Amino acid sequence: MGHKVLLVDDSLFMRNMLRGIFEGEGYEIVAEAADGVEAVRKYRDFRPDITTMDIVMPAKNGIEALREIRAIDGNARVIMCSAVGQESLITAAQQAGACDFILKPFNTERVREVIRRVAGD
Amino acid sequence: MDMSPYRNLFFSESREHLRAFSELIVKMEQGVGSREDLYALFRSAHSLKGMAASMGYGGIAELSHSLEDLLDRVRKEELIFDTGIADLLLEGTDLLEAMIADVSAELQTARNIDDLVQRLATYQSVPSGPGVKSPASYSQSPAIEERESHDDAPQTVRVRTEVLDNLINITGELITNKHRLLTVGKELESTSLDEATVELSRLLRDLHSEIVLVRLIPFAAVADRFPRVVRDLAKKIGKEVVFEMEGAEIELDRGILEGLVDPIVHILRNAVDHALEVPADRNACGKPSQGRIKLVVSREKDQVVVAVVDDGRGMDPERLVSHAVENGFIGPEAGRLMTPGEAFMLICLPGFSTAREVGAVSGRGVGMDAVRSTIQTLGGNMTIESEPGKGSRFILRLPLTIAIINVLLVRLSLIAVAIPVTNVQRTLELKRSLIYMRGKQALFDLEGEQLPLLSLNRILGFPHGGAGELLPLFVCELKGRRVGLVVDSFIGQQEIFVKPLGRPLASMKGLGGGAVLGNGEVVFILDVANLL
Repeated sequence: MGHKVLLVDDSLFMRNMLRGIFEGEGYEIVAEAADGVEAVRKYRDFRPDITTMDIVMPAKNGIEALREIRAIDGNARVIMCSAVGQESLITAAQQAGACDFILKPFNTERVREVIRRVAGD
Repeated sequence: MDMSPYRNLFFSESREHLRAFSELIVKMEQGVGSREDLYALFRSAHSLKGMAASMGYGGIAELSHSLEDLLDRVRKEELIFDTGIADLLLEGTDLLEAMIADVSAELQTARNIDDLVQRLATYQSVPSGPGVKSPASYSQSPAIEERESHDDAPQTVRVRTEVLDNLINITGELITNKHRLLTVGKELESTSLDEATVELSRLLRDLHSEIVLVRLIPFAAVADRFPRVVRDLAKKIGKEVVFEMEGAEIELDRGILEGLVDPIVHILRNAVDHALEVPADRNACGKPSQGRIKLVVSREKDQVVVAVVDDGRGMDPERLVSHAVENGFIGPEAGRLMTPGEAFMLICLPGFSTAREVGAVSGRGVGMDAVRSTIQTLGGNMTIESEPGKGSRFILRLPLTIAIINVLLVRLSLIAVAIPVTNVQRTLELKRSLIYMRGKQALFDLEGEQLPLLSLNRILGFPHGGAGELLPLFVCELKGRRVGLVVDSFIGQQEIFVKPLGRPLASMKGLGGGAVLGNGEVVFILDVANLL
């Protein structure tokens, strides 16, 4: 409980939705980022316990950002968010060290399940 | 999950995406977009899809998904970003905007996205440019296998449209300069200079026709929207229509083609809305329930002919004339003299069929004045054929190119002016004794028809011109009526390079552009459609 979370998505709408779900579970959102470059920087600054990472983003995509974050912290727990139909990206993300996936559009129950699993609660 | 806290954010963010979307599409279409712009387009569609799906707006999500897929094909270089793609994406943007407005206002509007989704999914680029084979007909997209075997395919390059515009501008200036050389050659009486100018003329003609070819794009590039216009309107007002298109592979100048879209849409809408009867009425007079509308494009010499043909109720010239006389559009005498062809053109008079009763009689006139003047401004003309009970035929004739045109140069009392030859039906010199008066109107007979005689000097507010025994005049169509326009003298026919007029001249009615003649004289090109 009380885990620190970093939300990464270029859509404020999506970040707000995730924030609603996480906060409902009692997590603390320590930072948000709207692109891959910002994500890496915020990860370095805030060292969150859990990061949710969108894949399709400007400046640096989620998979590249994931690689860099894993290079900074080999134990980083990153959940990838991707849309249906991007299965090839999921494989790439797995290889880059993603620990779980949530599919858009978000199913609240499924999101909660993944969060708990990743957080080890 | 209760999504209501996210509703407003959805609307503001999705509108932001659509705004960026439109801008980027136009940028890409103009050839000034970067790869990053293309990715940004893709991301916008992608984000919109995700957001809409989260909100449970299935239609918006599905349409965004189709846009995303099309952009993905462009991103993977399976398609090039051409006008067709821009059109589809913009159409999608408009539709998404409408759908978002619907949900925002909590309206339950049923919007059909299947047709667009289908077209997005099956889109294939239309090849264009010299030497590239056009698709055989509008409905047949080039097969993918055909596109992949590019070993023996002609080499093509993509050229920005502004480069094409520059090329035609420079060619136009060269033609002006050729006329200058011809003038100098005459003054110097130099054979060798004449020979060189003749050779130069030949080369310029070749250059011009090659550049015209490069600027040509097939009618199919804009044709994809027409079936939808017909279908949507027919559906809305409960009519059954079979829409056919022929000759979509015919090519014409990009600028003209773009200018043609609105007039054609207007004529098609009128045909569905007014010309075609409802199924019950059609059955009553022995016609099949389904009305037919056909859009036929063809080439005649150096003109492109676009005809919209329907098998609806047609128009009765006598009733059009009597309506025009009753409402004071024309005098009773003029009405009596009208040929059927002229009577049909009455529907192009501003305000002619806004009168309620005519809605039923002609049913074709609303906004036709705008259609006709657009066509004339493009350097073309329109004629109408119709038979009561059988249907109507709207025929648009257009030049292949607009920048360099053939004009009749005439001298007036103060200046010389140019009239596009497409607007001149014929020229003649009329003996004064053959003019007769009816009331205040001077008339003369031509091919068994009585035509009003007007002075171009007077129309333009110039002093009276020369007073010879023979009056030079040309016959043209003014406000749907054939008239003779008297000038001081004919200078001759010439190819000129049309330059747009800047402000404030551009806003003057009746002027269609300007040009510089070989002797350095500046002439105005009359826009006959808007002369009176």
